[in-house]
Amino acid sequence: MAWKRDDSPGTNPQPEPQSPPRPMNSAAPAPPVPEAPRKSGDRATIGPSIFIKGDLAGEEDLVIEGRVEGKVDLKQHNVTIGKNGRVKADVFGRVVTVEGEVDGNVFAQEQAVLRQSGAVRGNITSPRVTLEDGSRFKGSIDMDGSRAGGSGAGKAGAGEGQAANRSNAPATAASAG
Amino acid sequence: MSWFSSSGSRDKKEQRTTVEAEPQIHRSLALSALFEEFRRGRKLQVLDLGPAIGSNVEFLSQFGCKIYIEDLYAAHSARGVGGLGETEEAGPQFFAEFLPTSEPASFDVVLAWDTFNYLTRKELGAFMRHLAPFCHPGTVVFALISILKTIPAQPIRFRIVDEQNLAYEVRTAATRPAPRFVPAELNDILRGFRVDRSFLLRHGIQEYLFVKEGERR
Repeated sequence: MAWKRDDSPGTNPQPEPQSPPRPMNSAAPAPPVPEAPRKSGDRATIGPSIFIKGDLAGEEDLVIEGRVEGKVDLKQHNVTIGKNGRVKADVFGRVVTVEGEVDGNVFAQEQAVLRQSGAVRGNITSPRVTLEDGSRFKGSIDMDGSRAGGSGAGKAGAGEGQAANRSNAPATAASAG
Repeated sequence: MSWFSSSGSRDKKEQRTTVEAEPQIHRSLALSALFEEFRRGRKLQVLDLGPAIGSNVEFLSQFGCKIYIEDLYAAHSARGVGGLGETEEAGPQFFAEFLPTSEPASFDVVLAWDTFNYLTRKELGAFMRHLAPFCHPGTVVFALISILKTIPAQPIRFRIVDEQNLAYEVRTAATRPAPRFVPAELNDILRGFRVDRSFLLRHGIQEYLFVKEGERR
């Protein structure tokens, strides 16, 4: 894999100086990599010039700043689709954060976060979903397993209703005061 | 992204007059009644025809419902000035694209907010005809219809404060004529749905809960 390693603790990795785009083939055997113990903060980054066509799986967090057309399956790890990132497939992760664009379904085991700059066209399934104002979303949100039942608490407000009607007949319009 | 075109040419003009006034909080009697539906205890399927608003999703999450968000105004205005126009033909095609059937859904609740004010009579009729197969007897449609002569040029953003109150965020000072649907007319346009409850509020909004007719399941 030609992902760029990024061990820095920051959440928004800066794109590294770009090298000329290289053709990628996710099915190709990965070059031998020296085994090294990985810290829990390890994460891989797919840089903005990278285009991957094929499924992705792994055992570390992943930041996507490039384009991916294929399932992203890192169920036990965090997946971030950065501002430049575009994914056209389903995304599986523990916490999935979308700052770029996803055209597919998002499955997050813990939380899905759609940032202001983010766009998702697809369905989001996660116990916790955060949509920031300005984010673009078209699809469904399923928070199965979230708190069930509603509280009946309600803040008292100034009574504004002037006419109330509960019947099959059309409501009678009253003048607005 | 091409599939998100929330700013049609109509919007571009309107954005020049964006206002950032404090949202006004109004009590919503229909909302209170609507939440009776949510407390029935089963997992509801909710169609939200407004833009994605995180706080609303968060509020509705406590009921464990599945929420479909399809911004009707954004899709409509993306078609450019004139929207669908008054043509009978354009409606069904547009709405079939807008609310595709890729995932079988039978909505229990439809949050229309004030989007109906931004459709012509024919568009609204076409939309409701398209929506009907996604509903079942007892499906509730929550709509806010303006009785004033003018409405904000863009739909208001409504945030659920709690089960009785809505925050209104008017995003533009520009206005446009309101269609001023009257109850009898709505009964005709929304054929197959009946007015279950209606509340006229002091600020010129009439809140409606329409219910799909038929034997409730």
